[in-house]
Amino acid sequence: MEMVIGGAFQGKAAFAEKMYPGISWVKGNEISREELFSARGVVGFHEFIKKEMEQGSSVEALAEELIRKNPEVILVSDEVGYGVVPVDAFQRAYREVVGRTCTKLASFSRKVTRVVCGIGTVIKHD
Amino acid sequence: MMILVTGGSGSGKSAFAEDCVIACGEMPRIYIATMYPFDEESRKRVKRHRDMRFGKGFETVECYTGLSGVKVPEGCIVLLECMSNLVANEFFREDGTHENTEVEILKGIRNLKTQAENLIVVTNEIFSEAASYEGETEAYQKVLGKVNQRLGIMADSVVEVVYGIPVYHKKGGDFHEKSVEQL
Repeated sequence: MEMVIGGAFQGKAAFAEKMYPGISWVKGNEISREELFSARGVVGFHEFIKKEMEQGSSVEALAEELIRKNPEVILVSDEVGYGVVPVDAFQRAYREVVGRTCTKLASFSRKVTRVVCGIGTVIKHD
Repeated sequence: MMILVTGGSGSGKSAFAEDCVIACGEMPRIYIATMYPFDEESRKRVKRHRDMRFGKGFETVECYTGLSGVKVPEGCIVLLECMSNLVANEFFREDGTHENTEVEILKGIRNLKTQAENLIVVTNEIFSEAASYEGETEAYQKVLGKVNQRLGIMADSVVEVVYGIPVYHKKGGDFHEKSVEQL
């Protein structure tokens, strides 16, 4: 597993497409769990989490399940926890779940690249 | 030695800070808790942190306001979590220091530094998002931002935890050319 992370509109997807050529990418907000578990590359992984939470699906064990079922996937995800704690309870839970899930996945990933202004910095490489 | 640990929500700051404490070896471990448990969600949050600390030998000291009056044993290691709560308490609570929050907090940190052998402060990045705020929330962000900058100067190391991965902005007390004071 490898991850490309960063704020919104930083060129993460373009960066990932260059870094991992020849991979077919799917969008987090358009795929089912089964599709997530068989995907090669996922862009907008945070949107997958949001969609699942909005549908009331449990995301508590999502990281563990993904590690077990699709350990070679490339994930592109926004970082969403860098603002004032939202007043809305769903928004508050959502950003925390994205953080906790991605922290577990980053711990498992062999490589994590953070993209700022289109520039990728490798912050983890086992 | 002082370490400032920062990062976004749910990024693994606490786990990293606790690992730092353990890595410092055997000495009295004091945890300064700053979150006032005012509702179910905050009580759950407090419980989650307590469970994380369980068995690690921490003595918990609750401090919602008035950090400058806190006494800790000499030669101990202090983990203070989280600066964003403490600043909110001082800024908004009735028993806080309101417009003098920055001064009170920095006095409190200096107070801890003189007593403790090691000090680890966890703070929070709440400054990068599309939404903009007005009034009290913006004023609060400004105070926390200023406090963070001052802590960055005082700390020997400043580390941002990104999804559990430490990214160092300042390491080991070296001259930090990017610090605002030197520009």
